Amino acid sequence: MELMTATEFRSTVRIPAMIRRKSLRRRDGRTTLAVGLFLLPAVALVGVLLIAPFLDTIYRSFYNDNGFTRSWVGLHNYRTLVADPAFGRSVLNTLMWVVGTLALPVLLGLLLAVGTYSLRWGSIARFSLILPYALSGSATAVVWTFVLRSDGALNDIIHTLAPGVTPPGWLTEWPLNTVMMILASTWQGTGAAVILFMVGLQAIPPETIEAAQLDGALGRKLLWYVTLPQLRPITVVVVGISIVNSLKTFDMIWLLTQGGPGTESETLALTMYRETFTLSRYGAGAAVAVFLTVVVVAASWIYLRRQLRTR
Amino acid sequence: MGRVIRNSLIVFAAVLWLVPSYLIVVNAFTPVADYTGSPNWYASSMALISNARKAFAATNVGHGMLNSLMYAALGGLVAVLAAALASFALVVMPARRPAAWFWIIYVGTILPLQAFLSPLFNGYAKLSLYDTQYGMLLIYVALCVPFAFFVVRNYMTTIPRSMAEAAHMDGAGWLRTFLRIHLPLSRSALMAAFIFQFTWIWNDLLFGITLSTSPNVRPVMATLADLTGNYSTVGPPVVLAGALIASLPTIILFFTFQRFFVRSLRLTAY
Repeated sequence: MELMTATEFRSTVRIPAMIRRKSLRRRDGRTTLAVGLFLLPAVALVGVLLIAPFLDTIYRSFYNDNGFTRSWVGLHNYRTLVADPAFGRSVLNTLMWVVGTLALPVLLGLLLAVGTYSLRWGSIARFSLILPYALSGSATAVVWTFVLRSDGALNDIIHTLAPGVTPPGWLTEWPLNTVMMILASTWQGTGAAVILFMVGLQAIPPETIEAAQLDGALGRKLLWYVTLPQLRPITVVVVGISIVNSLKTFDMIWLLTQGGPGTESETLALTMYRETFTLSRYGAGAAVAVFLTVVVVAASWIYLRRQLRTR
Repeated sequence: MGRVIRNSLIVFAAVLWLVPSYLIVVNAFTPVADYTGSPNWYASSMALISNARKAFAATNVGHGMLNSLMYAALGGLVAVLAAALASFALVVMPARRPAAWFWIIYVGTILPLQAFLSPLFNGYAKLSLYDTQYGMLLIYVALCVPFAFFVVRNYMTTIPRSMAEAAHMDGAGWLRTFLRIHLPLSRSALMAAFIFQFTWIWNDLLFGITLSTSPNVRPVMATLADLTGNYSTVGPPVVLAGALIASLPTIILFFTFQRFFVRSLRLTAY
């Protein structure tokens, strides 16, 4: 009897699988209807409650609107926006937030999830990291004001360790205030990244790790060549969400500096809020919203376009 | 040696992370009368109960917690279910243009929240959904679907196709394949998505203060904000005590979730 070559063998075995796949991929009327029904709840909710109001916002960005009267101004709102020097600072701050958020919570979350995963006391360490994520915004705001104000906890420590040193104004000097707020948001957000990476670590089949260990992959090698590639689907989620959330940063800044002093620590989300609700320039606020959305969609598109290919 | 360094770094990070949380707890225990303006490092008394009582008396925090429990539990559940159905349709079923549908749902997390506020407020007023529990629940579900969808969808791509193929061969329909195979296999992602959405809804302030006013609709963070509005009259210890009590459900939820990880950890420990 002749021995089959490896390719012949594989193709023989593949045939039934291909038949099955064909039937699973068949698109007839019934299947299309089923796909539609499965998609309906999510698409209807997002379409009606999120996308429709946003289309209204795009429409309003072409109007001069003070809440009482409304007149068509075309691109005037956008032109004024780009000419405003405060807008440049706002874009720069937003960029700092994106870089800071990608560098700190994502990286720390990955290292701490991998580091604590197989530790017996790992869940205790993780709990202290996750705790801030469970706390409410008002508690976070009060405590970081405690830490960063001029007679606050951080300066207490500095006075004790190094008497005579004059600490800087943590929340009053740019760019230090933005950096400090990025650190505060790292404190709050790292736990979320840790949880997501834990979900990813759980999805790795134990056999994969065992096989790699039998092949002599240990420590850093195991991490680099086995664990990290296996974590890719969840890393896409963590990085994707971090890009979006950092571009939309609002709460932490609103609660700690209100974008001040002046408008120095404003991000785009705060500029939008100030234009709309403080200055009642609804058209201008809508223009910032549209600009911000275009930036977030573009950044997400560039990152996710390649990462989402699965089939 | 490497292990010692790694473990000490983990301990260091854990302790560093605890410092602000510690300050919250300690200062929630400080009696308002003893509060000097700067933060305390040690608890001087056990005033937490009386501070919390003041917070509950000054506002409707108790009622708000009940409302929020309903929004967060039900809203999180419905959102995760809708997200799982959509993920299944795009990952397993032969959907046309899966990438386009992905973006239609995912764009919901991208749009800046503050941009919805005035159109939503006007729409809600017209449809008389403003200041109703249905209205709150509806917007929370919609806001939570995109993120849950992203998490669950990416997790489902790691489930081998052969599972669905085998079920299909055995004559299982789509719904059965979804309920019996993909839903149980995505358990950890579904659970993580639910926890995130529960926490998000629980901690939401923006939509709570915009779309509701009456005490039997208002979520807990909106009622707590009334307290922060009276910052000078009640003082930070009362605000912190109220916030601490209001955060207990999410803290308990995360703590329970941790045990879920420990249990599965034993399976992989060797």
